[in-house]
Amino acid sequence: MDYLSDLWATNRSTVAFAMVNSLFALSTYVVLAAGFLSFSTVVFAAVGGFVGAQLVVKGVGLPFVFGAAAGGGLLISLLVAAVFLRLNSHWMALASLALVLITRVVTLNAPALTGGVNGLGVPLALPMDWLTGVLVLTVLAFYALHHSWFGVASRVLREDPSVAACMGVDLRQIQLIAFGISGIVGGIGGAAYAMLLQFISPDTFFLGIAFTMIAATVLGGSYHWFGPVVGAVVYTALPIVMQAFLPHLLQEVANGVVLLLIMIFLPRGLIDPRAVRLRRAAPAAAGVMKIRA
Amino acid sequence: MELFASQLLNGLALGSLCGLFGIGFGLVFATLGILNAAQGCYASWAAIIGLAAAEKMGAPFPLIMLAGMGGAAAVAVAVDQLGFQPLRTRGADMLGALITSIAFWMILDSLAGFATGQQSLSFPSTSYPGQMLLTEPVPLPAMQLITIAVLVAVAVGMHLLMTRSSVGSAIRAVGWNPVAAALGGVNSRSIILLTAALSGAISGLAGTLGGVLTSNVSFTLGQGLLLKGFAAVVVGGYSDVRGTAIAGVILGILEVFVGQYISTALRDAFTYSLLLVFLLVKPQGLFGKGSLVRA
Repeated sequence: MDYLSDLWATNRSTVAFAMVNSLFALSTYVVLAAGFLSFSTVVFAAVGGFVGAQLVVKGVGLPFVFGAAAGGGLLISLLVAAVFLRLNSHWMALASLALVLITRVVTLNAPALTGGVNGLGVPLALPMDWLTGVLVLTVLAFYALHHSWFGVASRVLREDPSVAACMGVDLRQIQLIAFGISGIVGGIGGAAYAMLLQFISPDTFFLGIAFTMIAATVLGGSYHWFGPVVGAVVYTALPIVMQAFLPHLLQEVANGVVLLLIMIFLPRGLIDPRAVRLRRAAPAAAGVMKIRA
Repeated sequence: MELFASQLLNGLALGSLCGLFGIGFGLVFATLGILNAAQGCYASWAAIIGLAAAEKMGAPFPLIMLAGMGGAAAVAVAVDQLGFQPLRTRGADMLGALITSIAFWMILDSLAGFATGQQSLSFPSTSYPGQMLLTEPVPLPAMQLITIAVLVAVAVGMHLLMTRSSVGSAIRAVGWNPVAAALGGVNSRSIILLTAALSGAISGLAGTLGGVLTSNVSFTLGQGLLLKGFAAVVVGGYSDVRGTAIAGVILGILEVFVGQYISTALRDAFTYSLLLVFLLVKPQGLFGKGSLVRA
């Protein structure tokens, strides 16, 4: 029992980071699942993070902190969607990357809201049960979405926009909803991240986290909501596991190599519904062959 | 007035670096369809290799440049063959290539940090022409003039290569459709290798020059060039070498002037806002044809 509690004590923060990264990955996934590669989750997270941090400093309760962060994320995501949805997917990726660059400059130059270069201390550690609750709720919401009209429509949209349009799917509407969900989840994730780090600065929400989100999502698989969660957990745990085998200097290199190997050998990610279906179909197909023979 | 003129020169030199890097970056983006996040690392590694040539072998300046270019070209070809070729054979989309390039970014950047001992190094002052060509009416360092001249030479050369030569047609054909190019008698495998090497060499040239000019040889050199070069490519129109070069120079000058006369804090804001405005309003850029199929 002592062993278990020791294990928990040493890995507690890893688990917390994996959970927050899951939120970010889910936020990236929902837009990706609607056919857009977008880095704008970083922006939503920055808004949620700084709004949340300011409210925590003022002593507001956690439900309101998360509520405001979600609202802020939603608001900014709808704004981004209104402007960016005119672009096609290549340009969307580039424009959202530009937006991440601009976000850092804006946060650097608005010290009244963000603390500028010095950053912002957050005088509240995020309770683990809150984080777990938020993640469970989010995952349940994604489960419901997956089986909803929106989930089906966005999958069709991603596979073939023309087919989706022929089936009467309103492309703009689906994309707008996807961005809205991404904004809410990203904002909540940002607030959770701020309370987890207990310190945020303009560099917190920059390219590093942007690439982490995308990498975790693709690593886990972007064809099912469970993929991003698995990806975030693996991506967060990987450096910790590596620590045991590799010197500190080579860890980042090893992370890159793992990501590279996954892209080459498992391009659809760890969780791939199509592979499962193919595997299920395989015995049946073999049976057909036997009958024909 | 003297301040204005010397800042104009600074802007020109800085912009030339961005434009030069952007030409390499845009070549891969326009022809191979890869948004290569690892391109900045080629520049960092070129500077590191150039520095090694200067310190370990006491190579003269032109050889340092060549060493940087060659090293970056080799890295670019290795990245392409190890990372992008498997995706290409599978017919994967742009997203896969972007993630792969991010993986290479992580690998090459941390190796670069390892190579420089997590410090910013600089070239020994004897390894490059450090003298002033003029002191009156404005100070004109030789390196600034060299940088500007290199940009002009590379931009003109690349433009002629891409538009007037059969190799250029082959590169554009492979970029448009590798199968059709192969049917037309183009060896797409070697053209892809050539494109990767060329793009690596140009970015490497920008990196080595940048390492000398800014006295900063570390992984941050490549990151800075990547962001500014990316802006130059988008603003200029990535299908046109001239556009990238001109946009790079304009952005460099604007950046220096905004920093000098308006506010240092707004330097980057200005560049990136311009980038965003172009993406939204005129995604084909200043000089682009906009004929590319936008999937």
